[in-house]
Amino acid sequence: MGLAQRDIEKAGFTTVSVSNIPDLTAAVKVPRIAAIEYPFGRTFGREGDAVGQRAVLQGALEAVEEMQEPAIKHLPFEWPESMRNAHVHPPEPAPIVSYLKRHPWQVQRLLMRNVPKE
Amino acid sequence: MAKTVDSYRFVNGVTKRLVKTWIKLEPERDIPWTRLLKPLSKCTVALLSTGAIALKSDRPFDQEGERQNPWWGDPSYRIIPRTATADDIRVYHLHIDPRFAEQDLNCLLPLERLAELADMGIVGRVALSHYSFMGYILDPEELLTKSIPAIIDNLEREAVDVVVLAPT
Repeated sequence: MGLAQRDIEKAGFTTVSVSNIPDLTAAVKVPRIAAIEYPFGRTFGREGDAVGQRAVLQGALEAVEEMQEPAIKHLPFEWPESMRNAHVHPPEPAPIVSYLKRHPWQVQRLLMRNVPKE
Repeated sequence: MAKTVDSYRFVNGVTKRLVKTWIKLEPERDIPWTRLLKPLSKCTVALLSTGAIALKSDRPFDQEGERQNPWWGDPSYRIIPRTATADDIRVYHLHIDPRFAEQDLNCLLPLERLAELADMGIVGRVALSHYSFMGYILDPEELLTKSIPAIIDNLEREAVDVVVLAPT
């Protein structure tokens, strides 16, 4: 996502990423990050929580106006559930997860992003 | 004390190790910057989600291709009109639980919340089109050479000023 943000910003648009892994997004060198400590699948908030979702979106949009140079704004909101209860996993394991269970020696390849060419 | 977001609160140990290794692989590079030339209240805003969201009437993202080759991810993109709701879409991302956004699209693509911010005068206008691609792509070449340029063309056509990118 960070690389996409860089290209869109370079094309003349003002961009902000709402990121729940701001360490990684920042490493890609993007102009603006609104960091949010929410789980995957619900980056803007819980289903049906209009007030909470709007607060996250508004916080990110206001960052666009506030920042005069590249920065990270940490949004203050707290997720009410622990990771165990936050349903961060998909219904079936992601294909790469199942693959690495069968081919554990390939983990190094994934760590190095050494993607096999077809 | 002001909150600092913990990047690893919702990832498991393996993913944390991946992320920390990937951070070290990122090269030093300049950060692009496009200055906002007008107040937010005059800006047209578009959303871009990496949640692999597609209209039910549109082509699904290729999940079977990723199941066959887990090193591959569908690099295409879809346009989501500003009026879309959870009833109109499906979420094809294989790395997240899709049921939340399929129940309330605003969990991942907060179009109704953006419309409210426009009604409140906080942003100027909601763009006609919004965008989604699938965020788990290890080799981003096709995404960056085909999908993102096409999205940029559409952003220009619709005179968008601000883009909010949202991960899954």
